[in-house]
Order: sequence, then C-alpha cells, then structure tokens
Amino acid sequence: MEEALKGERVLKKAGYEGKLVAPPPSLRKGCDLALEIELVEQTVIARTLQGQVSYIGIYPLEGSAELLQIVKVVHFPEHVMVKAGNMKIVFAKTNGMIVNISGGGCPDVPYLYTRLVGSHLETALRPRDLGFTLCALMLDRAWEEALSIWKGGKLS
Amino acid sequence: MILIAGTVPAENLDLIQGKVEKIGNSLKVQDYTFPCGQGTGAMISSCLEVTKALGFEPPYALLAGDIGRGQGTRRIYQYLIEQVTNLKPRILALHYCLPIVRLMQKLCEALKECSYRPLLIADAGAMYAAKAAGVAPQFDIFTPDPSEMAFLADPEAVHPAYVSRYLFEALAHQVPELIKRAYAHGGAAKILLVKGAIDYIATEGRVVARIEEPCVPELECIGGTGDTITGMVAALTGAGYDPLKAVIVSAQVNRLAGRLSCATPATRVDKLIEYIPVALRELGNI
Repeated sequence: MEEALKGERVLKKAGYEGKLVAPPPSLRKGCDLALEIELVEQTVIARTLQGQVSYIGIYPLEGSAELLQIVKVVHFPEHVMVKAGNMKIVFAKTNGMIVNISGGGCPDVPYLYTRLVGSHLETALRPRDLGFTLCALMLDRAWEEALSIWKGGKLS
Repeated sequence: MILIAGTVPAENLDLIQGKVEKIGNSLKVQDYTFPCGQGTGAMISSCLEVTKALGFEPPYALLAGDIGRGQGTRRIYQYLIEQVTNLKPRILALHYCLPIVRLMQKLCEALKECSYRPLLIADAGAMYAAKAAGVAPQFDIFTPDPSEMAFLADPEAVHPAYVSRYLFEALAHQVPELIKRAYAHGGAAKILLVKGAIDYIATEGRVVARIEEPCVPELECIGGTGDTITGMVAALTGAGYDPLKAVIVSAQVNRLAGRLSCATPATRVDKLIEYIPVALRELGNI
C-alpha cells in the first residue's frame, strides 16, 4: 500500500495521472491497492517508477493481460524487416544501419523515426528509453530482435 | 474544407492551424515549417499532391507538437471539441495522436452538434482511440494495417500492443475474418481499407474489393506509406469522390507510386509522394 501511495506522488510530480484504486479481483496478487493509469503511457510510466517505486506489474483492465510478444522477420535481398505487433524496424544487412521504421499510431512514432533512422542498431538509443507509449514498447521489442539477428549474423 | 488534425514530432510547438503550403521538401502552416515525410506531414503531403493535381483547394491543417507525452494531443482535441461546429469541415481526418478515450468520446459528442456532419476519417492513434472509446461506427473510414485490423477485431483490446495472440496469429491469412469480427462487435468504421500484401476494402462487414497489383512488398518497410493512403482518401473524398471509390483509387495509386519510384526497403516516403500525380494520371484520375 505504501508503494502505491508513493507511486501516485512520483507520477504526479512527473506530470502523469495515477489514480489509487482497489485492484480488480482478476489481478489481485496479494496487494490491496493499485494505481490506475492510461495504459498507452505504460512505457514512460514504467520508466518514471523505475528505481523509485516497487510494483508487481502493469496490466490492462480488459483483454489480453500480456503484451504481444510475437515477432516476425522478413528478409529482403539487402535488408531485414523485423515486425513486433504493430511496429516494424528495417536495417541494412551490409552495415547494421536502421533505414526505416513503420507502423504504429502514437505521437512518439514519428519522433522515434527522426531519432533512430540513420543510426546503427548497436549504438542507437533503445526505443523504450526514448519513447513514451505502447508503440515505443513494441518498437523496442522489434529492435531487440533486429539487434540479435545482426549480432548473430543470421542475415539470410 | 478538408481538415487534417494531428501531432508533429516537436516538443514545444503550440497549436497552429491554417492552409498548407509546400515549399521545397517542407510543408508550411502559419510560420511553422516541417518535413513533408513524417507522420501527419506525410498524410498532409499526399493530400496536397492530390488536391493540386485535381485543381482543388489545399487541405487545412490543425497541428500541435507532441513527442509522445500527450500535451499536443490534448490541445488538438480540446480545440476541436470547442470549435468544430465553427470550423465546419466537410472532411475531418484525424491522425497521429495519443489514444485518449475520453477526449475522443467528447469530440464525438461535439460532432453531433455540427449543422453538417463531416465525413470522418481516422488512422493511427485517432483510430485506436475511436475503437477503444466504442465510437468506431460513427466514423466513415478507417485505414488499418493487418496488425491494427486484429486490434479492431478484438473487442477487449485497448491498443494493438495488447491484442489477443489468437487474433494476431490469424492476421496473415484471415483478414476477411478479422473484418467480419470487427463489424460484429462495433470495432469498425463504415468503410475499412486494410493496407497490406493484399489491400482489402470492406463495408457493412463484407469485403467488396481486393487490390493486389502491382505487388511491391518493399512498401511495408517504408514509414509513412499508410499515412499517404489516408491523405489521398481525404483529398479524393474532398473532391467529391464516393468514399468507396476514393479508398480503392488511393490504394491503387499508392501501389503504383511504389512501383514507379522503384521503392526499396530504405526508400523514404517523400520519394513515393513525388510519384502520386503520375500514378493518378496513369490510372485515369486526372
């Protein structure tokens, strides 16, 4: 309960809304207080709470409780496209440079495009550290897989 | 008036509005210039290419800076909620914004007060918000990709990141089934254009057209190719095209522009936009 109260204060200070609520029965994990947030802001809220507040997890009130983890890879002659949920990242096989980002609909998607396209997969800042929304989190998942493919040399 | 409302990736841009001009590779609204190939900019650019080619007035844009924190989104919604009855758009196209359900619901309430109901188009975050807010059937056109189609088909998902695994796995081969499901539970607009390897056009729960040629798989890689389709749909409906014809022509033009530009996975969307007038002409629309 203390951590939920602290979480509310931390979020408010950072400019985000968090409302103290009783957790729904399906999500009760022993605690008796939860914070209700805008789910789309999950990425920035997790980053804001990190290191300051202990919490069990962030879950939607309805629908699938798990973030979509399905990743698909498409090989082109000179590029690889990695898709995670609604986000895609494309890199060049020759040098590991990010050449395109597509999909998504939250306002940080065009921002992430400007920050990441033209960067190398290994030196680019992580999408989840730059972005704020669930689209950023999906792009982070795609970037993780793209980096693994690049480092592992699985380019065909 | 074609009104395009959406955010641009700038931290400190307050609300701006006005007719759009293209200057070189940039767009200009009031005194603000921004790239023509990013997010809402790509949508506006493609709309502008079509209105120019057809000799129509350029779109009017309502923009605010937002890099994901939501402040620009809130400014746009608040302004529209208060002013949409005075703005009197014939076409209202909503684009990149944080999907904030309660603001979308308020906007839909405000739209009911309009003396002339605009044709409503939503893509990107605005489409997510409309579906999550339960107001999708009030919209005329949505332009999802297959992953977003799975989201529209999932009655409980509030964002494509939390779509059911079962529905997501179905999307590769079962887009028509996802379309049926979306209509069955009120997750779809009156017309859907599902952009993918095959473009599906659907209305009232059934697929009425499929577009497969020319096949340009590289288009999926290029950020902004969905935005260009939505921009063309806004322009063509603004020019008086029947909405179904507008989505079919937009999907055809996008594919042809991809082919004509010799698109690769590294192509930027502004290169495709350059070919929109040529593609329109080749398809007999000019």
